[in-house]
This record gives sequence, structure tokens and C-alpha cells, in this order.
Amino acid sequence: MTAYMRASEIAKKPVVTLAGDDLGQVKDLVFDASTGSIRCFTLAGRGLLAGPLHRALLWRNVHALGPHAVMVRDESALEKDDRAARFGATEPGGGNVLGVAITTRSGERLGTVTDAVVETGRTPVVAGYEIETDEHRRVLLPVAGPVTVSGERVLVPDATAQYRAGDLSGFGTAAESLRVRLQQDSHEE
Amino acid sequence: MEWWSWLIVALAIVLAGAALVVPLQARRRSGGVIAQGRRPREGGGPKP
Repeated sequence: MTAYMRASEIAKKPVVTLAGDDLGQVKDLVFDASTGSIRCFTLAGRGLLAGPLHRALLWRNVHALGPHAVMVRDESALEKDDRAARFGATEPGGGNVLGVAITTRSGERLGTVTDAVVETGRTPVVAGYEIETDEHRRVLLPVAGPVTVSGERVLVPDATAQYRAGDLSGFGTAAESLRVRLQQDSHEE
Repeated sequence: MEWWSWLIVALAIVLAGAALVVPLQARRRSGGVIAQGRRPREGGGPKP
């Protein structure tokens, strides 16, 4: 079964070993701009005064992503630095997507990205975004088809504007409907 | 100055420090959703 969660729900989850050691908490989600698949997390220390740990956790080293914690086998699952997370973030198409504008390919502005929706599974992917519209409403927008993501803008197919969900329970239906619509459009062309 | 005046000054300094540090710390720890762009090809240069 496909499950969805907001990126903000994954951030701040503790990273715990199978032996029960607390290694830190998730800070950033890093994903591949072209495929949407999650590559790694960056970590911050636990506690009020702890800062970033400057160590990355690659997705392939995650044992389980649970509702309350990210489980890893042991401390060796963490990279020695956060180069894996920084790599490509400053390249064309890279950067933090929170706060960037989301527009259709024909130039219609849909809103500003406030969060990402992650489809969990064997390889989790960014399946959509929570956006704040110009009317200050927060809606969930699925992404499918040719999507261009960068730290400056997210460009989506025009049909995306018609498939919105108010919450995560309706997001799966909106995502599936968008997929079907884009397939129909590609067959007609 | 009375002893309690020093106490008030000390408390004010602690409060001002906390007011400065807490938002800074929250910002350092706040997360993002980072898109990774194209990986640069080894050696660089134009695509053959």
C-alpha cells in the first residue's frame, strides 16, 4: 500500500540504531531533482543547543522509516561527512525548494512551496508539494510527468493545476488522477 | 547599587542572551527539502 507523509514529518525524527542508540535527528531531505527519489538525509544533533552534525545518512543505509524514528543498523550507517548531501545542491537544478514558486509550463503561478509530500516505500520519492496559494490557502499538489525542479522554481505540466488535495488522505486519488490524465494527453498527441 | 539591582541586571542579560540564541539555534536546526541537480561530469567541459 502506498503511504504518503509530509517532509516536515520526517524532519526532526530521531535517528536510532537497532541497539537503541540515539545518533541525532533528521534535518534536511535531499532528493534527485530529475527522478524525485530521496537520496539522503542530513542530520542535526539532539538537544536544544546542538547544531548540525555535518554527516549524511544515505537512503540505502536506512533500515526502516517508521512513524516515530528513522532506524539504522549501527553508527557506521552514517557517512563521515555531509558531502553526499551538498553534492549537486549548487549545480543547475539544485537548491532548497521550500519557499520557491511553483508554476505551470504555460506560466500560470500556482503558489509557493511550503512542504513536500513523500511517497514512502522501498525507494521514497517526492510525489508532490504542499503549496500556499496566492489566496493564502494550503493545498497539496501531486507532481507527475515532466517536472523541472530547482532552488528557484518548480515547473509542472499545465494539467497539474486541476488536481489538488486538501489533505494526505485525498492526495493518492489526486496523484493517480493526474497520472491517468497525463497518460491520456500523451496518447492523444 | 542594592544587591537586588545587580540581580535584575543579571536576569536581564540572561533573558537578552536567550532571546538572541533561541531563534538563531532554531534557524540552524531547521530543515529543508534540497533538490540535487545534475552531477558535473568528470573532467568538465562540453558534452561530446
